Amino acid sequence: MRSWDSMEDFEAFLDDGGLVEPDDDMPDAYREAVFRFIELHANSEYMGGLTERDWIAKAPGLTNKLTALAKTQDEIGHAHLLYMVAADMGVKTRDEMTADLLAGRTTFHNVFHYRAHSWGDQIAIAYLVDAAALASQQAVFKNCSYGPYKCILRRIIAEEGFHMRNGEELLLKMAKGTTQQHEMMQEGIDRWWWPSVQLFGPDTRPDDVLLRWHIKSERNEDLRDRFVQKMVPQLTAAGFTIPDPDLHQDPETGRWVSGEIDWDALKAAIAGRGPDSARRLNDARLAWDGAAWVRSALDEAAAVPA
Amino acid sequence: MKTYEVFLKRPGKDPFIHVGALEAPDDDLALSFARDCYTRRSEGDQMWVVAREDLLVADPVELEMADRPHRHNDGALLRDLRQAGDQSAS
Repeated sequence: MRSWDSMEDFEAFLDDGGLVEPDDDMPDAYREAVFRFIELHANSEYMGGLTERDWIAKAPGLTNKLTALAKTQDEIGHAHLLYMVAADMGVKTRDEMTADLLAGRTTFHNVFHYRAHSWGDQIAIAYLVDAAALASQQAVFKNCSYGPYKCILRRIIAEEGFHMRNGEELLLKMAKGTTQQHEMMQEGIDRWWWPSVQLFGPDTRPDDVLLRWHIKSERNEDLRDRFVQKMVPQLTAAGFTIPDPDLHQDPETGRWVSGEIDWDALKAAIAGRGPDSARRLNDARLAWDGAAWVRSALDEAAAVPA
Repeated sequence: MKTYEVFLKRPGKDPFIHVGALEAPDDDLALSFARDCYTRRSEGDQMWVVAREDLLVADPVELEMADRPHRHNDGALLRDLRQAGDQSAS
């Protein structure tokens, strides 16, 4: 077990590119902050997996159903990995994390507090939300100081890459489709553009410990800006519009500048007051209760001596 | 439920690499869950699943102490000797 005499020593270790392992005697504040961050990530993957699951039956055609199935397995798989890493930090057990999520005591990303109305919405999620999530995860992976988190992020990022590629494929198909398909896709973009932009969060505060302790490697505003620079030309080229009347190109730099971002919408969603928060959480509770027989069967199997 | 650690090996010369952990009630289900969780896209052609309680874990501080400077050769002395040789030859 490694230990550090002071926070200064610990931070010097982190600044030097040091990786913290679960057995290390890390400062409590670091343990707490990293745990909260991984728990939020785990909750979000889990809630995202349940959303994806809704589309296995509704996705049009066998290929899209198979993709929805694979994505559901991936997202739930990511939640599994993340909950294991979080539980090993010794702050909360996995059961406590599940109980807190289902009781609304902990949070998950804003984008899972909205309803996916149509197949167009589902593609917008695959394209915009997955791209935003992937960009954030890559920025964490790049310089992540907590070893086990970094290890599983590598895997998560590889799989999210498949999802994003699939999202772009489907978006381009809709772009070349019938007028009706084009309109459905535009409606999806209109509904999901702002939640995706808000996913990055407000500008990073100068005293953000996640940045200082090398969990995040980039500021929220930089990641958000890169997302806008990448997405605006892609969507425009595919014949779609962005639901931001104030979006314009800076005449000098050529960079896209967003209109004002409604941070109250982000805060409300994360606090569980989003347009679809109640139904989503209720669905998660139903899924959990519905699988109670599986858990009790596993417990019984565990109780039988080998 | 028991905690298991999962190791994967890709075809070829790569060593087994630790990829993560999982919870399972028994060994058979641990293997099955590990396949579901870690090898959905042929991430390895061999897999070890080990109960965490069966792993012998070394102390990292002792590991560090096993390293000794005399086992390394950074080439500095050799460089000096070669330079000295060059100078005496000229």
